[in-house]
Amino acid sequence: MVEFSLPANSKVTTGITYKAKEPRESPKNLVIYRWNPEEKKNPRLDTYEIDQSKCGPMVLDGLMKIKNEIDPSLTFRRSCREGVCGSCAMNIDGVNTLACLKSMSDVKKEIKIYPLPHMRVVKDLVPDLSKAYEQLASIKPWLKRSNNDLTTDENKNEEKKQTPKEREKLDGKWECVLCFCCTTSCPSYWWNGDEYLGPAVLLQAARWVNDSRDSERKERLKAINDSLKLYRCHSIMNCTRSCPKGLNPAKEIAGLKKAIVTEL
Amino acid sequence: MSNKFENRPLSPHLSIHKKVLTAVFSIFHRITGIGLSIGAILISIWFILISLGPSYFAYFQIISSSIFFKLILILWSFGIFYHLFNGIRKLYWSFGIGMDLRSVYGSGYVVIFLTFLSTITVWLFA
Repeated sequence: MVEFSLPANSKVTTGITYKAKEPRESPKNLVIYRWNPEEKKNPRLDTYEIDQSKCGPMVLDGLMKIKNEIDPSLTFRRSCREGVCGSCAMNIDGVNTLACLKSMSDVKKEIKIYPLPHMRVVKDLVPDLSKAYEQLASIKPWLKRSNNDLTTDENKNEEKKQTPKEREKLDGKWECVLCFCCTTSCPSYWWNGDEYLGPAVLLQAARWVNDSRDSERKERLKAINDSLKLYRCHSIMNCTRSCPKGLNPAKEIAGLKKAIVTEL
Repeated sequence: MSNKFENRPLSPHLSIHKKVLTAVFSIFHRITGIGLSIGAILISIWFILISLGPSYFAYFQIISSSIFFKLILILWSFGIFYHLFNGIRKLYWSFGIGMDLRSVYGSGYVVIFLTFLSTITVWLFA
């Protein structure tokens, strides 16, 4: 359902401002969305002033500095700090991206940091991704081989080889780190997220549909050929705009639609 | 899901997400589409008025001579051209053509340019 305004318990209020210790060489304000499930209060925006000269360059470095030195209760996901794990996905300066890949100096004024949009918040910057993971599982993101293939002598107990050309078809698909920046930037997913699979999951669908070793291409296409699951994509292109890995989910979805028209 | 999680707030979306051009182009395509549908109804009313005879048509002429009506007509022609050009852009996308980010933005600017050009041309020379 299209609901433009937030529910009453989700309205954001202003919170506390923390000043950096003197002397401050290059102060930067980070305005961060906070919500604690134990407080039974509405979410609030806390402002943290940090000294950039004593901090790493990325937004994630800023968050770590705050957590280490100012407010240890600040909660966010992070792991690899180099754009490989996809944990620190959040909305920074209005656009979904990975905090570890976003430079603080890219943002002119204060840096506003929210959790991924239109998601249930577990705590602070941690969104509940269980629905998205469920949707990912629904497209069966693993290699499927039909029994036929497995019983022929040629294929028995042997690895299924791929030509470089066949392997090339997976480029732009396998690199996805499942941070769900794209999915949560999609207005269509905001309004129809219960049914619509969203760009990240559809990109994974394309990854398995186009795998030469997979023997269920048709079945996979049939499974997503659904007015809600796939065709809620209206080529808004926000997904491609926000992907921190520079991938193009919208184009892959167009490829899926094309394959359904021509092959089913 | 147990009740424990039901008080979880919904993270802000429309209000905090940057108005990126990709989404702006898309919503304008919808708005112009809706506008054109309403305009189509008005045009059919116009045709009905013509067919009913000169006395009814006189009413229409009183309305149509107002500046307000002209303004709406200009907006409507703007809508037609935007919807047309952006529609062509979207047709290309259906074939997976021009979907890299640079082309998306480039073709978007071309659509805006053509829309203004066509609207101005139509109102200057027609």
